[in-house]
Amino acid sequence: MLIFSVFKTLTDQKVTVELKNDLSITGVLKSVDQFLNIRLDKIEVFDEARHPHMMAVKNCFIRGSVVRYVQLPAEHVDTQLLEDATRREAAAQGKR
Amino acid sequence: MSYFGFDNPIDLESEKRKFLESGGQGSREDIAVYTWGEQGYDGLGDELHEGGDELNDETFGGVGEVGKDFDFSHTVLPSDDLPQAAPSRAQQARPQVYEQPPSQPVQSSAASRPTHSLESVWDDKSPFSVLGRMNGASRSTEPHHPSHTPSPSQSFKFSPFSATSNEPLPAGQPLGGISSGLSKGAYTLEEVEAEMRAQAALQHQQQQQQQIAQPTSLTHTQMRAQIPRQGTPQHAASPPPRMHPHSQSPRFHQQQQQHQIHLMHVQQQQQERQLLDLARHRERQKLLQEQQLLQQQQQQQIMEQLRLEEIERARQIRLQQMQSANHMHSPLLHQRQSPALSERHPRSVGRQSPAIMGGVGALGGAPLEVPLQQSLAYMPHDIQLQQRLLAEMAQAEFLNSMQGGPQSEREIREERELQEMLRAEAMRKIMEAERSDQKRRRKQGKIQHMSRYNDLMTQSDKDFITRIQVSQLVTQDPYADDFYAQVYGAIIRSRMGIQTQDDRILKFGSGAGVGLGPGQKGSGRRPSAMQRMEAQVERIVNNAKMREKEKISLNSLQGALGKTSGRSYKAAPRQLLQVDASSPSPSPAHAHISKVDEEPRKDGMSAAHEAAKIGHQALGGAANSEGVIAKDPLKHREALMILERLYDLVLDIEQLRRDQPLPEDGFEAQDAWEVELDARVQQLLTGLRLHVYLETSVPHPFISLLMPIKGKRLLPRVVRHLPSERILTMLTLIIACFHQVDVVVNSPKLDTLEESKERAEVEQHSEVFLSSLVQSVLPAIGKLDLSMLTGLLGMLFKHNDVAAVARTPPGIALLTMFLSRVQNIKEAIASVPMTTAEPELPDPIDERRWQEVFDELFNVLAPGLLLLFPSIRISKNSGGSVPYGKVPGTDDMDQPIWQFLAAMAVHSSMEQQQYLVTALRELVLENVSSVRRGFLASEEEREKRMGNVDIFMRALGLDSSQIAV
Repeated sequence: MLIFSVFKTLTDQKVTVELKNDLSITGVLKSVDQFLNIRLDKIEVFDEARHPHMMAVKNCFIRGSVVRYVQLPAEHVDTQLLEDATRREAAAQGKR
Repeated sequence: MSYFGFDNPIDLESEKRKFLESGGQGSREDIAVYTWGEQGYDGLGDELHEGGDELNDETFGGVGEVGKDFDFSHTVLPSDDLPQAAPSRAQQARPQVYEQPPSQPVQSSAASRPTHSLESVWDDKSPFSVLGRMNGASRSTEPHHPSHTPSPSQSFKFSPFSATSNEPLPAGQPLGGISSGLSKGAYTLEEVEAEMRAQAALQHQQQQQQQIAQPTSLTHTQMRAQIPRQGTPQHAASPPPRMHPHSQSPRFHQQQQQHQIHLMHVQQQQQERQLLDLARHRERQKLLQEQQLLQQQQQQQIMEQLRLEEIERARQIRLQQMQSANHMHSPLLHQRQSPALSERHPRSVGRQSPAIMGGVGALGGAPLEVPLQQSLAYMPHDIQLQQRLLAEMAQAEFLNSMQGGPQSEREIREERELQEMLRAEAMRKIMEAERSDQKRRRKQGKIQHMSRYNDLMTQSDKDFITRIQVSQLVTQDPYADDFYAQVYGAIIRSRMGIQTQDDRILKFGSGAGVGLGPGQKGSGRRPSAMQRMEAQVERIVNNAKMREKEKISLNSLQGALGKTSGRSYKAAPRQLLQVDASSPSPSPAHAHISKVDEEPRKDGMSAAHEAAKIGHQALGGAANSEGVIAKDPLKHREALMILERLYDLVLDIEQLRRDQPLPEDGFEAQDAWEVELDARVQQLLTGLRLHVYLETSVPHPFISLLMPIKGKRLLPRVVRHLPSERILTMLTLIIACFHQVDVVVNSPKLDTLEESKERAEVEQHSEVFLSSLVQSVLPAIGKLDLSMLTGLLGMLFKHNDVAAVARTPPGIALLTMFLSRVQNIKEAIASVPMTTAEPELPDPIDERRWQEVFDELFNVLAPGLLLLFPSIRISKNSGGSVPYGKVPGTDDMDQPIWQFLAAMAVHSSMEQQQYLVTALRELVLENVSSVRRGFLASEEEREKRMGNVDIFMRALGLDSSQIAV
């Protein structure tokens, strides 16, 4: 739930999603669900020449399981808070 | 006359003939009769009897004379069924057989089948020959009783004796003529044909008033006349029924051009025939003649009632033609025609059942074509006429506008220009309209394209999926599970100045709920969606509870047979990492590292307890080092461990503070809460190792905790929960161990311009330490009294190399803080009257001691005053390659130093001030001149530099403007 919670705060921010098939998509995060499926708008694909089929695509839905990394905008992430949240999560899981 | 009393001898005969005709050669006549002349006719019949006809005659007795001797029920030919004439007919039958043949070639030739010679007709190879033979008798009687000869196609059993079966109209008139002709015995071919045509035409007119379901009125003569003319080409043209447009769906057959072509054939035929008919019987059919005339002279406007109707119909048809792709034969067209027409028009119905088709017969269509034919004939002319008229009108108008009226040359030109403009305008508008229309259409298309999938899921499907999704989101502690989003949202809101207290959480009765994340602004859809979700979740929660109960009851079934599996989606995202939670560590969150940490932590605890016994003595500097157990300093890893635990404590405390019981909860809850909070804070203090002897290790354990950046960050958060005396302890400890702090140790690394990872790291640490120091401990300085300040400063001297400390940003900040606090105290003394501020009055002894400490400070710093400036240090370290003033960021870097020096100057005696001015004179002058001479590019930079100088100068009671360069 932690990462889901973090992504919730990042809606309407620009993120870069790196997929397991080495596709790297930058776009505006529209929504995330608990499976971390991601909906992106106004997307741009890194190294478009290699992926011409993506040139016409303007928005996409990414299944959470195919995501390798998500690059977050640093200015929109409260690192300390994120650390705290992680600690809480860990503590909560430890209690269980 | 009937055998065995059967009154209906003709039945046998007709049955036999029916059999023969349908079996052997029916297609020529029978099938033609069933579906004939209409589009429904498949033409297969033509192919059916291609071969195998040779023996037909032998089989069916077509060779030679067919006697009637086998017909025991009837001694004469069966055709004669008119009650009054029956006996005489029977005797006439035989001669008539011979008499009739001359008419047969007539019919055959009329059939316009040149391949059939007379001989072929006569020798029984022709398909008609059998018919002729078999029907010989009946044919002979045809003229007299056309209605009696039962057509095999009749859908009902024909009873010759029943009065109802008689067709009244065609029965009398035409027959009379022909029969009289027949009685004459000799007819020319033309005569016979003319007679028949006349009859047909007349009959057609009369039949217009009749039902189509009475085809018995059609005589064989008509049939004969009809067959070749209409049938033959049609057979060729009509496709088999299955392939025929009419048998297809209406939509499909709209696009069948083939069908139109076929129709054209038919119409041509019909027109021919009609023209012939009309020409031959002009005198008898005045009306028709007139119509014919009209057809030939279309310009004439004859206001006859019928004529008008015809034109009207033509218009309708034309309209339909324009509208529909299938010009001639869309079902619409027929429906729009006058009901009477379509009623008697078998073709008008696109898909007729074979029964109806058969009942109508081939002959139904032909004569009835006339009205349609006529109306159709007008169509092209009508259109042409209208178009021509329109064109003429337009031309006249144009000419009028161009030439009409007495216009001057100029007027005409203006007119033209105006027209041009108008035209251009119109064109533009048209284009615009077209464009917008196109756009709209494209949009429409898109929407349509997308709407293909509309309603693919029902609302309950959607609900189901939402339920699954939401059920994953519902948790027992929505705030904790959505901690980040909640707190982040709160921070953002507070930063934006929006004060909303509500946690963005949907709560439900049992404490479960859904975290909604930071609130999205705007969008009117939200509230209703929210409500929907709320309702749904509520239902889900209730369902889940029910299921829980069910599960319990299921558990009671343990051991029973059968499967009792739960729902699969509950397991959806499975937790893949199963860390062993049952580790002996009291803080399970860090179970993976706790074992390493276990022992030193215990030691640290015991040491802390020891230190607590001794208390504050360490601060006084009179530490008796005998009782101190010297230890290795905390390792980085240990420090991290401890820090994590401290963070957990801080989080706990923060949570506790959030859950502070309200006053109405009673004192007990309040007390319990306070006790718990105190316990946590105590834990925190112990964890911070504030009470450990200074000599325990170098660096001190507390300083070790400050080494990692997260330790530095922890400082302000911890301080919030500590009582002020603890903060003071912390401050003392920091001052005492200032030189041990990594930032101070590493600060020389900052005095270079070389970009390195190390430098960046030190810089970051330095910044974080400074900021957390400023946020946490330094405010405490502002509350200290002079004696404490003196004591602390003295301690700083005792334990640290103050000169080195002063070269670090935190050190400078610390010293500046001391000086300004003392300054404040002094000002307070000066401003506040003695009497009122009695308790705050500093002890004169304290004052004197402070002055001593300050003098010491001044003396320590004086030799290296210039080296306090980071920019100068950098310039020096660079080996002179970067002269002072050229170091990037000089002014920002040096500002704290200028401030510190200003503070120094305030406290300094006259000599000390003199010294300061002397020492800094060159620097001040250089700064001022660099500004005045415009060495600095930007206005901002100049202002900053002058500002820095002025801070110092004003402290001395001077101003940079007094300086003459």
